[in-house]
Amino acid sequence: MKTPLFAFILSMIMCLGARAELKWEQTSVELHPAPNDKQAVGHFKYQNVGKTPVHFKSVKASCGCTTAQTQKEEVAPGDKGEITATFNIGDRTGTQVKTVTVETDEAPNQKTMLTLKAEIPQQLEITPNFVFWKQGDKPDTKTINVKVGKDFTVKHIKVTSATPNFEAKVEEAGNGQFKINVKPQDTNKPVASMLTIQPEDSQKVFYATARITNGPTAPMMPFAPAGQKPPGARGAPAVPTAPAHPTAPTGQTH
Amino acid sequence: MARQAAVLAAVALFPAAGEAIYFRNNISWRSAIAPSEMVTVDQARAWGDTAIWVDARPDDEFARDHVPGALSLNEDRWTELLPQFLAVWSPGKKIVVYCSSLSCNASREVARRLRKEAQLSEVFVLEGGWEAWLKKNR
Repeated sequence: MKTPLFAFILSMIMCLGARAELKWEQTSVELHPAPNDKQAVGHFKYQNVGKTPVHFKSVKASCGCTTAQTQKEEVAPGDKGEITATFNIGDRTGTQVKTVTVETDEAPNQKTMLTLKAEIPQQLEITPNFVFWKQGDKPDTKTINVKVGKDFTVKHIKVTSATPNFEAKVEEAGNGQFKINVKPQDTNKPVASMLTIQPEDSQKVFYATARITNGPTAPMMPFAPAGQKPPGARGAPAVPTAPAHPTAPTGQTH
Repeated sequence: MARQAAVLAAVALFPAAGEAIYFRNNISWRSAIAPSEMVTVDQARAWGDTAIWVDARPDDEFARDHVPGALSLNEDRWTELLPQFLAVWSPGKKIVVYCSSLSCNASREVARRLRKEAQLSEVFVLEGGWEAWLKKNR
């Protein structure tokens, strides 16, 4: 009984030894980009510790927001190099985990998964970032909660409505929190407005949307950007009153 | 026989424990999603005009082709695209979010943000994504 068990363990050890040609310094990288960074770049260093050259067969990122590049196609014995993974942050927030799968010819189906973990800082957490009333509803005040991120200090925020149809007042709730009380002038007609939220002493702006909806049968026309088709056959669209892009609004300031 | 199996299991325990410790801070790249928040192509199509289709893929993939009538809402330009989506949404509408195998779990993330940040309900992720829709419609 001992012989087959010994043979099994020995074969496992030999298999592990045979494939360990490309040695990775690390296969997991944690990044902490600054608030305004557009990209987070991870470097995965390796060395060929084997006696034969290693070829990269493919390097694939897990999604379109991440690209990965090798410095060379072939890694000679003893050579060092790195794979650079670039994660385009866009408007993502919180913990982001992206992977890059590297396939080499060290052994059949030899794949190594490189993990890029990025903690995207969030200056303000706005919940909800959308408040709405149905046409004909009582124009009650609705509240948007704003929470300052743990690594930031914001003492005051300024809120501006793009149109005079909504009034937005800021209430300081203490402990790094604010309440934005939004009230429509009336709910007689469908209308939308962008609320611009700007922390004091900061160039960064945040947005929320306030809207009077007109029911499921006749949605408002989207602020269609170039190349985007509005949904067809969904009723006559109404004219929007909110800006197409979050540009500097004109209107009330509170 | 049982003893051999026990020995093998014990041998396997060491690397498993080591891996568990080494990768303790790694989270899955595919966030869990409840089956009730998934929808098939057939189910979503049956909703007709009561559903809004949301394309969570990057701009270039959306520009190449998309579900007819779908709106683009991706995390690359979330701040800009969200208000455009919210202008079209109306109460009672179901939201069907899809991505493709190339854009990994983008639809799950977009669906999660619509629920959490905009606090919308009836947000569903399309099973099989864009590829499943293509298979049924092309």
